[in-house]
Amino acid sequence: MMRKRFYNAIFASGIGFILTCMMVGISLNTEGTTLKVEGASAAQWTWIGIGISLVFLSQLFAGQVDAFLGAVPKPQLSKLLPEEGKRAMLKPWLLAALLVVMLVWPFMVSRGSVDLATLTLIYIMLGLGLNIVVGLAGLLDLGFVAFYAVGAYTYALLSQYFGMSFWACLPLSAGLAALFGFLLGFPVLRLRGDYLAIVTLGFGEIIRILLNNWTSVTGGPSGISGIAKPSLFGLEFTRRAKEEGATTFHEFFGIDYSSSYKVIFLYLIAVILVCFVIYVINRLMRMPIGRAWEALREDEIACRSLGLNRTMIKLSAFTIGASTAGFAGAFFSARQGFISPESFIFIESAIILAIVVLGGMGSQVGVILAAIVMTILPELAREFSEYRMLLFGLLMVVMMRWRPEGLVPMKRPHLELKT
Amino acid sequence: MKRFNKKLLTLSSAICLAGAINAAQADTIKIAIAGPVTGPVAQYGDMQKIGALMAIEQINKAGGINGDTLEGVIYDDACDPKQAVAVANKIVNDDIQHVIGHLCSSSTEPASDIYEEEGVLMITAASTSPTITEKGYQTIFRTIGLDSMQGPFAARYVVNTIKPKNMAIIHDKQQYGEGLATAVKNVVEEAGIKPVMFEGVTAGDKDFSALIAKLKRNNVDFVYYGGYHPELGLILRQSREKGFTAKFMGPEGVGNADISKIAGEASEGLLVTLPQSFDQDPANQALVAAFKEKNEDPTGPFVFPAYSAVQVMTESMKATGKSDPEALAAHLRSTSFDTTTGKLEFDAKGDLKDFSFVVYDWHADGTKSPAK
Amino acid sequence: MTETSLYVIQQLINGLTIGSTYALIAIGYTMVYGIIGMINFAHGEIYMIGSYISFIVIAGLLGMGFISLPVILIVALIVAVVIASTYGWTIERVAYRPLRGSNRLIPLISAIGMSIFLQNYVALSQSSRDVALPPQITGGWTFGDPSVFEVSFSYMQLLIWSATLLVMVLLTLFISRSRMGRACRACSEDLGMTNLLGIDTNRIIALTFIVGAALAAIAGLLLGLYYGVVNPYIGFIAGLKAFTAAVLGGIGSIPGAMLGGLILGVTEAMTSAFFPSEYKDVVSFGLLVLILLFRPSGILGKPEVEKV
Repeated sequence: MMRKRFYNAIFASGIGFILTCMMVGISLNTEGTTLKVEGASAAQWTWIGIGISLVFLSQLFAGQVDAFLGAVPKPQLSKLLPEEGKRAMLKPWLLAALLVVMLVWPFMVSRGSVDLATLTLIYIMLGLGLNIVVGLAGLLDLGFVAFYAVGAYTYALLSQYFGMSFWACLPLSAGLAALFGFLLGFPVLRLRGDYLAIVTLGFGEIIRILLNNWTSVTGGPSGISGIAKPSLFGLEFTRRAKEEGATTFHEFFGIDYSSSYKVIFLYLIAVILVCFVIYVINRLMRMPIGRAWEALREDEIACRSLGLNRTMIKLSAFTIGASTAGFAGAFFSARQGFISPESFIFIESAIILAIVVLGGMGSQVGVILAAIVMTILPELAREFSEYRMLLFGLLMVVMMRWRPEGLVPMKRPHLELKT
Repeated sequence: MKRFNKKLLTLSSAICLAGAINAAQADTIKIAIAGPVTGPVAQYGDMQKIGALMAIEQINKAGGINGDTLEGVIYDDACDPKQAVAVANKIVNDDIQHVIGHLCSSSTEPASDIYEEEGVLMITAASTSPTITEKGYQTIFRTIGLDSMQGPFAARYVVNTIKPKNMAIIHDKQQYGEGLATAVKNVVEEAGIKPVMFEGVTAGDKDFSALIAKLKRNNVDFVYYGGYHPELGLILRQSREKGFTAKFMGPEGVGNADISKIAGEASEGLLVTLPQSFDQDPANQALVAAFKEKNEDPTGPFVFPAYSAVQVMTESMKATGKSDPEALAAHLRSTSFDTTTGKLEFDAKGDLKDFSFVVYDWHADGTKSPAK
Repeated sequence: MTETSLYVIQQLINGLTIGSTYALIAIGYTMVYGIIGMINFAHGEIYMIGSYISFIVIAGLLGMGFISLPVILIVALIVAVVIASTYGWTIERVAYRPLRGSNRLIPLISAIGMSIFLQNYVALSQSSRDVALPPQITGGWTFGDPSVFEVSFSYMQLLIWSATLLVMVLLTLFISRSRMGRACRACSEDLGMTNLLGIDTNRIIALTFIVGAALAAIAGLLLGLYYGVVNPYIGFIAGLKAFTAAVLGGIGSIPGAMLGGLILGVTEAMTSAFFPSEYKDVVSFGLLVLILLFRPSGILGKPEVEKV
């Protein structure tokens, strides 16, 4: 047994050596115009040595390590929650408390945190939207960012060319994104599984490239700048009113100007939008259409035999998901004040998808938690500067291994008969 | 947020007062250096970083600002506009009032909005998009020339010296490249040269054989490329392999020793518009040696502009005796500065009044000489 | 010949060259998908690593004073294939095998994470700058009237074509004739059943990753020589294109990947030839959508049979 493990350990460290010796141990360097190879410094080789011996030891004592990890109890989230009946009673109170905390919190903390929370809320919105398509209806969409872009550009362009306000554009953005979802959904619904994935990916790229090339309207790669910030019933959050005669927020209430009002106001809008989205989706999930989404995900053939209209169900999932992304997009351009096509690249879709999968596919609480994790982690990792994205990638792998079923696996809303 | 409002004090008494305070207690003044540390453009971020950090080090060595020392704090925006906003908010949050950065124009634009609102002084050493300073900002400056200066400059050289028969303008579909290419196109068209091709390529692409065949078919004898060195390097290299021998010209984004590494022999004779090469300036040799000693490369186009950005910022701090951004901004607009990148003067928008470019002939060994 | 037809021939040559390399990378996607039904997003990074390794070997050997080009290339090929295969194997072992049997999106996310990790790993260890190698194989043929339009076909392009063809033939023989190849085919028919019949499916899956990585490394070497430039971010774009090619041809089918790669390459070249080249990607993705609309499982893909 021990001998086998020893061979295993030797093998693993050998592999580790092959992996690192060329990439880390030797580096390419140019001197003048010729390419030279250079061995790494002694310090780097020491690190390689330490790494390989760690691999060796961990493999040699794999049994012990496993036993040790097995002894550590896994967190059991379900045990932490109170009984079913109690939960029903507690729920409204908890929700109310949460809402109060969310509303009061921004006044207590720093501006950077509020801004980060706003960004997180945008991702929560996106995650909730994609959750309908991927988590509930089971349609793999790798181009979700396209609808986000449509929403963002709708607001930016309308505000730029027609001076329309954020509040008027918000439903328009969502509507236009929904229209795009409908138009895309129509032809691609014949496709199944991964073919759908690549077509949506292609669609996302097409939208981005078109936005980039249509310079006369979208400004092309220069993007659109100076997008108006939302106002509170016509009160602006700037230091000086933009137009003559208009009043700003601080002048109206007679308080000193502080730019953090604007940040907090944006955050509060995001909170309201997210609450609205959660409410609507929760309602939808209990309606026949929501049930049909899940039924379709579980067994398409059975659904068809039951006479459900497959196309309509898929289309509705696509459209509603897209409109949520449109919301998020319009809000994103308001927060940024500047948008350009490079904010809507493929990796953005991948991160939203990761949020949905990590959240537990279908579970709203899970998506919210995952969105928080995925936006806060890279910010926390700022300390590691250039190692930041390396750690982010590694964490994605580790989290999938650690909780493949997601942070909060989905539970469908159901009633139990007491016997 | 600390805000000094001592408008009543005259400049001279302010200096005395600040000097007296500072003699008593030495503070550190933090300067944020915001730019990409990760991601594909990290190497340009590095130029800005080493330039700014070197300036901070030198100024501290020379006694700091009236006794205070400077400290550079690095922020990574990965050249992503979304992260740039987060970084800007974080800088405001960390109570830093002086920023060198950002690098990419698309990051600088949304971030400068926040700095302006918060009264933070920002000096970019690399963002060349004209739109940044068009909004009438008070505390946003830059120590580099604009695309709207460089494009017409290059175009005039084309019209007066090259006089091409069939000119093509290629760009990389990015803000910097397309902006320059459009500026060049407008000027040469006014002068009566109609480009036979005006086309974008995809940044990050490796295969340009189709484009080169097209250039060949149109009998193009002169190509202006708006963009960065990786793509132009490959276009040059593949042109030589395919026997396409037109003359090429590019902006400072291609004028980087790396282009010769990529294109090899094919980079001989490339025309590049560049700011004067500050690392060749005899007055800067001590600094170049200091960079070399730290094993850093001083030849990048943003190294010295970043250095001078720190210089003008600290010169104003010394002169006004304050670190209040609004006072500094007023001072920056009022006088001229002697820096490593020459004599700098800012206009009302915060741009340099005069930033001269030179057309260079590029050589295959990565060196350059002024073009005839 | 007229000028236009010469021009079209030139663009066809360009398109087929880039298409063959798409095909080499696409095979890695298609084989993995055929057997375990997952999209291996980290595959493009293996291609990038293969490119780096071959650059290191070539630069190292040139630096040591070797001058025989064939020897250098063969050594580079062997080392790149061995190391890239090790990477392919390790990735499968670390990031995908523990997730087998869970929802099919889980390994997808793991793969995206792996791809981000590898990109940054190489950027940190080799710097994110472009690394360039001077041209090693130069020259070629030209034909056509120089006064009308001259078509050029370089030795390097010939090498890419013939290497791709050779690799494809060898792979087809391997899959159709050898014992391991038969096991591979069995796995892609029905993984569970193959397991029941006493074939170690884990091994076969590991083998597919190794073969896919080896082909990506060959593509890395060839494209490295052709373009002469690598950076840590080339894998992502190449991977995306190759994946598109695999789906176009019918994912899971090896001849399909080949065909898909060539069609994609030629489409790109022809679009750049007659339209502004910034619309190249729009046209290739548009073509993909169009083909999938009429043949929902790609050109050579087997239509999925609905099972109840």
